[in-house]
Amino acid sequence: MNRRTDLLVIGAGPAGLAAAVSARDCGLEVTLIDEQAAPGGQLFRNIESPLGQQALQARERAQGMELVRAFRASGAAYCPKTTIWGLEPGRVSCTLEGVPATLEASAIIVAPGAMERPVPFPGWTLPGVMGAGGADILLRSGGTLDKDPAAPVVLAGNGPLLLLLAGHLLQAGVKIVAWLDTGCWSQRLRALPLMPAAALDPAYLNKGVKMALQVLKGKIPLIRGVSDIRALGEGQLEQVSYRKRGKRYLLGAATLLRHEGIIPRTHILNSLRIEHHWDRVQRYWYPLLDQDGATSIAGLFLAGDAGYVHGGDASQLKGSMSGVAAARYLGVISKEEAADRSAAPRKQLQTMRISRGYLRHLFAPHPQLFKVPDETMVCRCECVTAGEIRKAVAEGCTEVNEVKLFSRCGMGPCQGRMCGPALAEITAAACSTGVESVGSLRIRQPFRPVSLENYCDLHHPLPDQQP
Amino acid sequence: MSTPLTTTTVRILFEGQELEVPAGISVAAAVAGYAHPGHTCKHPVDGSGRAPFCFMGVCFECLMEINGLPDVQSCLVTVEEGMQVRRQPLPESIKL
Repeated sequence: MNRRTDLLVIGAGPAGLAAAVSARDCGLEVTLIDEQAAPGGQLFRNIESPLGQQALQARERAQGMELVRAFRASGAAYCPKTTIWGLEPGRVSCTLEGVPATLEASAIIVAPGAMERPVPFPGWTLPGVMGAGGADILLRSGGTLDKDPAAPVVLAGNGPLLLLLAGHLLQAGVKIVAWLDTGCWSQRLRALPLMPAAALDPAYLNKGVKMALQVLKGKIPLIRGVSDIRALGEGQLEQVSYRKRGKRYLLGAATLLRHEGIIPRTHILNSLRIEHHWDRVQRYWYPLLDQDGATSIAGLFLAGDAGYVHGGDASQLKGSMSGVAAARYLGVISKEEAADRSAAPRKQLQTMRISRGYLRHLFAPHPQLFKVPDETMVCRCECVTAGEIRKAVAEGCTEVNEVKLFSRCGMGPCQGRMCGPALAEITAAACSTGVESVGSLRIRQPFRPVSLENYCDLHHPLPDQQP
Repeated sequence: MSTPLTTTTVRILFEGQELEVPAGISVAAAVAGYAHPGHTCKHPVDGSGRAPFCFMGVCFECLMEINGLPDVQSCLVTVEEGMQVRRQPLPESIKL
């Protein structure tokens, strides 16, 4: 394959695919690399197979299939099963189907997407406890959550994905014994004044209402005002316990699926020290970008939900705009042509952002979400508890990287992806300050584990391994 | 959602047990969704049993031994005919 190209796109979700298509359309030579084996990202996972297609509603299915078809026809080079672990301006280090490689490009668009906000609670490492997103992937792979498809499932949390998952579970005939709602009503009420704007995007609103109606029809017992959720069991989830109005309750369950919203994946830009801002309602960091996704580093762009979570169709529009902006950056199209090509997606995106403004409040995470008991394992990799984080603060640490040094929280193979947000929230609470004041984990490259063999091969290739 | 008849399948071995699963899915989804094994890995720090959590490459809880290679993020590997998958054991050097 060609190791030097005009534009390198990282990620084959809605944003990355749209970026590749629009950049190709402008005449750029494009290579797209992605961790998964097939294009589509998480939203359009396995969209080229009947299994992936049937998981989506008709409108999304058509949209995803058309996007992947356009990508396949675009002439962009495609490297699936490729994990990138290093990125500097103009250059990416990755492992391409097991073989280390360096790829060079005049411009790079990063589109790593979003992930579920990891929220620790006692027992969350027990088999049987999963993220709602993970469970949805499992269902979309044709599998079942438990050996006994009728075994009781408990849903817990707050967020649009939980609604979608509940619909999928009901379709699959799974017995949902409870939906433990952890949402914050004072935040949700703030969504009300913004609701009328939703009429600007009736199709989207309709989709949400449809999902909600399906869940209502499924008669899932909805338990509001829940806190202090715990998973209990010996080597496997057996019971879920929770608190409501000061009283503790117990439920028998084979599976517990927790979802507390979606946050941008920021590791790559973090490792490059790009400035990030804190969203105090959605409680996540997002990178500072211009309207086309350009970062403060020349020739480096970011597209999609990794910039701010607006959803899959918005990501596609952001991707198109970044592709055009990359072409403009490389001088392949004029300023006027770039403005012309971006006009339609920009307008659509603007409408979307206004019409969905209420979602930011409706699905805001509860500010007390991270008030977990001391014994809660926050860092799953290094087995560091909330108590150990609080102890580090009591001993004088006031910044998350100090706490990390003292406790090992965030030093495991996931590199703080699963514990970073909780580490910051717990540290901030223990310091009686805001999350903005305790910093965020400094991410260093390689931002994915890479074997020493692969790393050394790349830097000192053996004669017969010269690319 | 039931598996449609049009989906082609592949056979993999998990701990010697044969699983027939749709082609194109990840090893983590195949093992968790078809074998229901409880834990799929013994955690090297506290020795507890862990299982896939995120299924999308973030959490590193799905590490398994695939075709003899340990420490593989099984959610990022696609199932292949005849693939041998085992639970990730506790490394021998680690005493708890």
